[in-house]
Amino acid sequence: MITDRVSYEQLLGISGCLALALLAHVTTLPLWVPVMIVACGLIRLSLARRGRSAPPRGVLIAVAALAVPLLFLRFHTFNGLVAGTALLSVTAGLKLLETKTQRDIYIITLIIYFVSLAALLEGDSFWLLAYLIGVCWLTTATLLRATSSGPAPGWRRSLRYGGRVLAQALPLALVFWLLFPRFAAPLWQIPNDSKTDASGLSDTMSPGDITQLALSDEVAFRVRFDSAAPPSQERYWRGPVLDNFDGHTWTRSTSGLGGAPPPLQPQGPAYNYTVMMEPHQHRWLFMLDWPSTWNQPHAELSGDYTLMQPEPLSRAVDVVGTSYTRVEYSEPLKPRTRTRDLGQPRNRNPRTQQLAREMRSAHADDMELVRAVLDMFRQQPFYYTLTPPKLSDDSVDEFLFGTKRGFCGHYASAFAALMRAAGIPARVVTGYQGGTLNPYGDYWILRQSDAHAWTEVWIDGRGWTRIDPTAAIAPERVERGLADAVNADDPLASRWQRNTPWFAGARLQLDLLREIWRERILDFDQDSQRKLLEMLKIPEPDGQKLVMVLAAAMALVLVWLTWQVHRELALPSKDVAGRTYARLCAKLAAAGIARKVHEGAEAYAMRVGQQRPDLADTVTALCRHYSSLRYAAPSGRITLGQFQAGVRAFRPKHHAK
Amino acid sequence: MNTVRQAAANRLRAWVMRRHGRDSLPISIHRRRIYILPTRFGVMLAAILAAMLIAGLNYNSNLALGFAFLMASMALVIMHHCNRNLQRLSVDVTTEVDAFAGREAIFEFALRNGSNVDRRDIEVRCLAGAGMGSVPPQESATIEVIAPVAQRGVTRVSQFELRTRYPFGWFYSWTYVQGLITIYVAPAPAGTKTLPSAGAKGTGTHSEARGDEDFSGLRAYEPGVPLKHMAWKVLARGGEAAVRSYSSLAAQPEWLEWSSLDGMDLEARLSQLCLWVLESDGAQRPYGLRIPGREIAPSGGAAHRFACLRALAAFGAGESEEAGS
Repeated sequence: MITDRVSYEQLLGISGCLALALLAHVTTLPLWVPVMIVACGLIRLSLARRGRSAPPRGVLIAVAALAVPLLFLRFHTFNGLVAGTALLSVTAGLKLLETKTQRDIYIITLIIYFVSLAALLEGDSFWLLAYLIGVCWLTTATLLRATSSGPAPGWRRSLRYGGRVLAQALPLALVFWLLFPRFAAPLWQIPNDSKTDASGLSDTMSPGDITQLALSDEVAFRVRFDSAAPPSQERYWRGPVLDNFDGHTWTRSTSGLGGAPPPLQPQGPAYNYTVMMEPHQHRWLFMLDWPSTWNQPHAELSGDYTLMQPEPLSRAVDVVGTSYTRVEYSEPLKPRTRTRDLGQPRNRNPRTQQLAREMRSAHADDMELVRAVLDMFRQQPFYYTLTPPKLSDDSVDEFLFGTKRGFCGHYASAFAALMRAAGIPARVVTGYQGGTLNPYGDYWILRQSDAHAWTEVWIDGRGWTRIDPTAAIAPERVERGLADAVNADDPLASRWQRNTPWFAGARLQLDLLREIWRERILDFDQDSQRKLLEMLKIPEPDGQKLVMVLAAAMALVLVWLTWQVHRELALPSKDVAGRTYARLCAKLAAAGIARKVHEGAEAYAMRVGQQRPDLADTVTALCRHYSSLRYAAPSGRITLGQFQAGVRAFRPKHHAK
Repeated sequence: MNTVRQAAANRLRAWVMRRHGRDSLPISIHRRRIYILPTRFGVMLAAILAAMLIAGLNYNSNLALGFAFLMASMALVIMHHCNRNLQRLSVDVTTEVDAFAGREAIFEFALRNGSNVDRRDIEVRCLAGAGMGSVPPQESATIEVIAPVAQRGVTRVSQFELRTRYPFGWFYSWTYVQGLITIYVAPAPAGTKTLPSAGAKGTGTHSEARGDEDFSGLRAYEPGVPLKHMAWKVLARGGEAAVRSYSSLAAQPEWLEWSSLDGMDLEARLSQLCLWVLESDGAQRPYGLRIPGREIAPSGGAAHRFACLRALAAFGAGESEEAGS
């Protein structure tokens, strides 16, 4: 059986399954790997088609000698997830090429199972999981067909059988998944071979940078407020604060990042919320404006109130925090910080500096000056647009006195530069603003298109004060979001979706499902298990109790499984006559006269009569009843009930005494 | 490795024998006597599953963990299914088997599946032979096991094995049945001597001379009798199947005598007698067998032939018992 040669059809089935499993990796593997595997499969299949066996070993060694060093050159290791998957895929391709016997089919099946799992280490969508379970279902059916001796069971039957096995496995898998203890930290350090690039905002900003983000519908994070959300004008999600200006680009200065954040006097209400961050490969976490508490033990507030992690964020994470949207700084600005936040190159943007000096002389009060600049934006023909013209080195001059068309970054940059030139410490804050409420799930979605840049200016006696120049030029942006604020001919990913209400609704519902999937499934951890035990009314849940509950639940499910599997062993419940007859036979067998497999009812009765004359009459009658119930046309002479009663009353052992 | 496995199997077999004793056939296989182990592919699967679990735990990936658990649970379900494949299967076997030394004995195992489970790929192992077959739901099947027998004599097989790898072949489950099968291994028919009567007169005409006109009575039916000799009227009246027998005046009984083969080796003598039995049977003339300690009166037919062959098989040798599969 093991040494059976593999048929063309078996080979075709298992190659198809392998291809489907590798399809889940096709975006991460180097292009030549899938090409090589497909080539291997096609070569082997065409050989099998012509009734020929696998190519000689030399060919395999040559292919392996070529492929493995190529892989190593590409990855420099076989330890990481992607490199390991690539190596496994190449092995599967080679195995396919040399497949001769059923043994090889088993090995390819195992590779398919493992490759499917590896795909789940990289991706985390529901569809991926469903797809891979489907692939394994198909693989299992293929294996059933390939390993049955005799004629292979049909596809439909094999799939149904495989499906039944999967369905019976589901409850046990669920119990394991819910109750198997999770570790807080990985067993060993995972090689960080994450190939995903950093996404979203970066810590530099040139005019026009954020425009690119505005075209993306990708979700940056979601937020759930414990009580009422702050109004739109106060929903500013603080990202990297940029305080270094070279005349064109704002960057995050490295000096002064450390140090405790200066103390604050909260002015408005505190907001409690949970930010559900998507991984973005940066160190910062987006919090509502001025955060005061957070639940990430390793994260720290930098001096500008941005919450920073020690490592780039590579996994989705929930941050529970408290923030204020209106504060006053209780300490004056440190001289060094003031110097930094006033700095800009003297020889750049001369007209801006000139304008700043003029306005400063007209407005002695800082807040008045701020208002005057905002009025200028409002009154002069400035436009808010997603497609601003490109700007050269003296970007602020060019923007303020030339193009007058810009996106939030342009206005923030120009405003901060003007403030600095006028002697008011100013900085650019990047982050997200507003967001879309998902009414189905009562949480806010912040997409890349909600990325925003605004400014903070230091007002003596109040501290850093948020000024959003975009609000002056396009108040709709801050109140209702980007799609309402830009012109109809600007390109915008979400516009046509917004204009089709049913689609927008469906999209929000889908997002809710995704959110539930993430919260309930992907983020299931020790805490969730503790809550689960609490729901089961188990006092003071801990790891030990978890294992005990797991054992108990497993025992229950195994009992169910045994019952489920053995249910089909019983005679069909409709065949009452057959079951009653089986009981009669069992009684006789217990009395020492077992029915032979080939023996019919009449012959059996006769034999019983010979061996035990005392039972002859009863048994002959019962067997005749059975025959007539079973095979004769309904005569009405004996009913099923009578037969049952007769068998029930029959006591062969009793008779003997 | 193989010998270790063999030794373990032998010990298990002996233990099963002590535990359950002789079974009365037909037997319905009880779950408590079914054993199950992973095949080597099952061991590989376990290793892969362990690797999947560790990967899922290490990457802290709930989806990967769920997938690994699903696969592991599937393996567990398959284990139950493999075990179920044998459960409550009804097994019977023809307890007496005739064979010739140096040829094969053919065992017929009757399997009955009274359940709705499709029992596929059931392998029966008996002596050195194995046969495989499937028993669809609510049906019966006969599985033939052909095993070579070398030694003349009476061999008793006390145990045979049922085994299955279905479904998927990750596990194999098996059971031992202690049913007694007696194999009468007749000597290999061989020899150069002609029948004793051949020298005196021609033997070939006797069968043709067996005519319908000399009806002498009825005897019980036995397989192999020409259909035209059946007593159809008796059968039609509801009686037992019977055969009209005829006294053939020309047929002088042939005596196959041990003593007529003096000077030959014991096994050669038995082989010669065996050949004679077959020749006489083929010629359809009555014959008797006389060997030391046993005399079988002249007669004909299949039952008589088997009686003679079994007498030859049992001659001199004590009965040997073999464990079985």
